[in-house]
Amino acid sequence: MFTILAEGANPFTKLLNDFGVTWPLFIAQVINFLIVLFVLKKFAFGPIQAMLEQRKNRISEGEEKLKRIETQLSESEERTAAAIEEANSTAQRLITEAKESAATLSEQKTQEAIASAQGILTKAEQAAKAERDQMVAELKQDFGRLVAATTANVTGKVLNDDDNKRINEEAVASIDA
Amino acid sequence: MGKLFTSISLLLATSGLASAAHQLTPESNVLVGSREGLAITNSMIMVWIATILIVLFCQAATKKMKMIPAGFQNFAEWIIESLYDFFGGILGDHLVKRTFWFFGGTFLLILITNWLGLVPGVGTLGIADSHGHVTFLLRGGNADLNMTAAMSVIFAILWFYWAFSENGSKGFFAHIFAPKGDFSGAMRIGMIGIFFLVGILEIVSIFIRPVALSFRLYGNVFGGEQTLESLMALGGKYFAFAPALPFMFIELLVGLVQALVFTLLSAVFLKLICDHGDHDEEH
Repeated sequence: MFTILAEGANPFTKLLNDFGVTWPLFIAQVINFLIVLFVLKKFAFGPIQAMLEQRKNRISEGEEKLKRIETQLSESEERTAAAIEEANSTAQRLITEAKESAATLSEQKTQEAIASAQGILTKAEQAAKAERDQMVAELKQDFGRLVAATTANVTGKVLNDDDNKRINEEAVASIDA
Repeated sequence: MGKLFTSISLLLATSGLASAAHQLTPESNVLVGSREGLAITNSMIMVWIATILIVLFCQAATKKMKMIPAGFQNFAEWIIESLYDFFGGILGDHLVKRTFWFFGGTFLLILITNWLGLVPGVGTLGIADSHGHVTFLLRGGNADLNMTAAMSVIFAILWFYWAFSENGSKGFFAHIFAPKGDFSGAMRIGMIGIFFLVGILEIVSIFIRPVALSFRLYGNVFGGEQTLESLMALGGKYFAFAPALPFMFIELLVGLVQALVFTLLSAVFLKLICDHGDHDEEH
């Protein structure tokens, strides 16, 4: 293009001259266009492209984060499932152990309760027997005294200690018989 | 400046005022300076207006940037992201990251410049001197071959830079001259010869690309402007807008299509040289 713009009788040069193409105007337009491109890049596209780039980065960061979260979630779910599994198994084991322990304890307590009840029963029997013996002894003494008093009243005789003792013994012997 | 305005008159070429003498010419008008030196042309002004509009739009959209976009920010992000994905689909993730500043910027610049060229006053509002020569204040940015050629040449230079940096010099020449496919024996020798010739054609096509890109865009935009102007002349003094109106909608579409064609072809050219797979379709 530079060659064909050169001075001369070249028909193409004449054609370009007819269209108003001259070196100075052409160079001026080249400089003009370069400045325009610079201005457009700096003041028109620059801020918008920067924002688009920023948003693009943010979206890709977001997507990356999402992927990371998904991975973490899946790992967490796996960990949770494993923990639940382990907890279930531990709980099962504890329940089994508790059941076994409860059965043992129950048996032991039952035995203890039986033994305790037996002891209470024995003591009660012994107490009842002692009480009855005491009552029998008191009854015998009362009966002897009653017989002696009755005898003294019937016979009108003052009974001495020996008489009283003998009558008591006879009365008790008759009761025992 | 005031004196200048007293000696010249503003011309409204709309409503059938444009005469043959005031029609748009293929070359742009120099507003400051001269054609032989440093100059500011009416097409450069349009390119800067388009640039300022794009920057203002993006700045307004990104004034209160939020992580969750809404409203204007959402719309701006949708445009940029759609463009990025579109070129990403052609170039791949790696290349689009390196080159989006060029393709995205060029696409939006061409599109907005093309559409601004349809705004009433562009290519019609001018200053006439005492000889009747009109200097139009604004002109479609891509209706100036200097502009489209500048874009094409810059792309061509960048294409070489990206192609060499992606392939290495050995890979670059292998891409152009090395035989594609598995051949052995005499077939291989024959293929080396054929692919060498194909490579030469490829080199020619590489140097023709900027010419084709610049003339295609310029031709479509300038042709569109000429069409609109000619149709307006058909409408008479009061109905100049009527014949041109349907073509305004077509020009909106043409503006979009040409922006797409320029950047799409550029992206495909780059992809073809940087593609490490089968790329026979280029030939």
